[in-house]
Amino acid sequence: MTETVPDTVLECRNLSRRFDVGGMWRGQARSLRAVDDVSVSVRRGEILAIVGESGCGKTTMSRMVLGLLEPTDGSIVIEGQPLAEIDRMRMSRSLQPVFQDPYSSLNPRHTVAQIIGMPLDVHRIGTSAERKARVRDMMKEVGLPGRFAHTYPGQLSGGQRQRVAIARALAVNPRILICDEPTSALDVSVQAQILNLLLDLRERLGLTYIFISHDLSVVQFVADRVAVMYMGRIVEAGETAEVTRRPRHPYTQALMRAVLTPEPGLGLPDLQLQAGFADPFNPPPGCHFHPRCAQAMERCRVEAPIRLHDDHGDVECHLYGNGGQRKL
Amino acid sequence: MSVSPLLAVEDLSVRIPLAAGELNAVSNVSFSVMRGETLCFVGESGCGKTMTSLAVLRLLPKAARFSAKRVLFEDRDVTAANERGMARLRGKRIGMIFQDPMTSMNPVYTIGNQLEEVYLRHMPGSRRQARERAEYLLSRVGIMSPRLRLAQYPHELSGGLRQRMMIAMALICEPTLIIADEPTTALDVTVQVQILQLLVSLQREFGAALILITHSLGVVARVADRVAVMYGGRIVETGPTEAIFAQPRHPYTHGLLACLPSGQQHDRHARLQAIPGTVPSLIGETRGCEFRSRCPQARAGCAADIPVSTAEDGHLYRCVLPPGAIPPPQSAIRAGAA
Repeated sequence: MTETVPDTVLECRNLSRRFDVGGMWRGQARSLRAVDDVSVSVRRGEILAIVGESGCGKTTMSRMVLGLLEPTDGSIVIEGQPLAEIDRMRMSRSLQPVFQDPYSSLNPRHTVAQIIGMPLDVHRIGTSAERKARVRDMMKEVGLPGRFAHTYPGQLSGGQRQRVAIARALAVNPRILICDEPTSALDVSVQAQILNLLLDLRERLGLTYIFISHDLSVVQFVADRVAVMYMGRIVEAGETAEVTRRPRHPYTQALMRAVLTPEPGLGLPDLQLQAGFADPFNPPPGCHFHPRCAQAMERCRVEAPIRLHDDHGDVECHLYGNGGQRKL
Repeated sequence: MSVSPLLAVEDLSVRIPLAAGELNAVSNVSFSVMRGETLCFVGESGCGKTMTSLAVLRLLPKAARFSAKRVLFEDRDVTAANERGMARLRGKRIGMIFQDPMTSMNPVYTIGNQLEEVYLRHMPGSRRQARERAEYLLSRVGIMSPRLRLAQYPHELSGGLRQRMMIAMALICEPTLIIADEPTTALDVTVQVQILQLLVSLQREFGAALILITHSLGVVARVADRVAVMYGGRIVETGPTEAIFAQPRHPYTHGLLACLPSGQQHDRHARLQAIPGTVPSLIGETRGCEFRSRCPQARAGCAADIPVSTAEDGHLYRCVLPPGAIPPPQSAIRAGAA
């Protein structure tokens, strides 16, 4: 995943972000590696999912990609240009976010038309009439009836609000959407509507998505490729079909087992996880996952695994490769 | 079936007066739970599943109006029980677990204080016995070094630990019924499975019945003996879990199962079978099937009162469609975009 493919639209190179906490008045200064040496690339028209549980660094990743947070180390390259060299206005025309909570991400005092038109105003795109037409088009694009133009978010359902958020993101005609848990606040029947919409839009508009989620069943359905994060590191990555059919990292295996498919009679799965818990401020030596790993060996407790890259994808685990062969 | 159910609820309704009119949060809901059984209420937000459980506990918002033909708990009619009578049941005979442990615990008391309080309130015994009992339960819910944890405050624990705490608190007086409202929704996926495992194994050990409220059909399939699917304040379908999952008889249940992405291999052109539209308003007089505005098979008869029917496998449903009108929920992928 590290080599640059010609149609790569977004690339993170050895991206890290550290947060320093405390130390000012009381308590010891501690530092948290929210994202730790992450390299990943996204190809044009692709949906790359970043999966992991809370605190694994997936949202920190998305905030860095959106330019909302400076990386401590490493770089982000968007369409061939380092993010650090692109000015905010230009960047936001190629990259737009869709956030998790459509209740807090829309201004309650603006009408739907104002919300969707705001990016056009900010970017001074078109005349007033053109902007109005664009807002109408966008509403149609996301399946919002025109009569909603002058309603307020408070009058809309969760699914309708998320449609507004998507229309707003699309207004400036971006090429990449960063969707951070776009459906986890929604009911399942509405989740299906929004996932279908995102898939349709990708096809119609040739969009590229970074899709952040904790739900592997959703990821399995929408994503072309998936990167699994644990404590700031990508522990496994590859084609979704490959990773979900044959998960290699014990953490990915546990995540797959934790998907509760609606099959009565199966009972609850055995995740094969140990009770261990790692303090993110003081990650365990060796592989960060070893306190929870049922397959941990002596080596896992002392030596950090190196990323193995082969035909099946990437994995960072001592169980694979001839004793963790170094390969980049 | 001569054994009487632990809890039997008949014609329970909850109405909430609002400025815009009366909200029919729960309409004529009837169900029962046997000892040791797990009943799941499943449905989307606003379907009335939480209100139903709060009505049983009589913990409804002040403005809400509660009515029921009968609520029998342990063979006693508690329909007309007063606040003191209910307070004696809650926490003692009926344990409660809520979705967000942070807001259902008092942040200024230690965990030990809160656990002991429940015990001391309902059981005869000294503070020392209460402490011992609290310690025992914390170890039972898989909390390591319980003595240390008892001295901590809720904010010092992770979400998973807090939910374990809630379970310990619900079980401290050995209730015969546990009501758990979305106990794992706020948790990470791996922690969710672990908490459910714990809940189910303790329920078995204590021989308690469990009413589990959830929006996840995956959770229902894996833990429920029986399920009640709610929509628009009514139970639209109820019966043994396997029967309902094998052949739903209400289009809403079918829609819920069909719109899940789980288990589908990635295919760029596949789409999910979404249920169109949104949940209807429950304000004012409602008649007929609440789902008819979103139902692909709605017909004229749906606007009238819908009688409860019995399927061949014995499960109950509230729909006028003939048997065979709803396919088994396998063909979940609709190929290509519409």
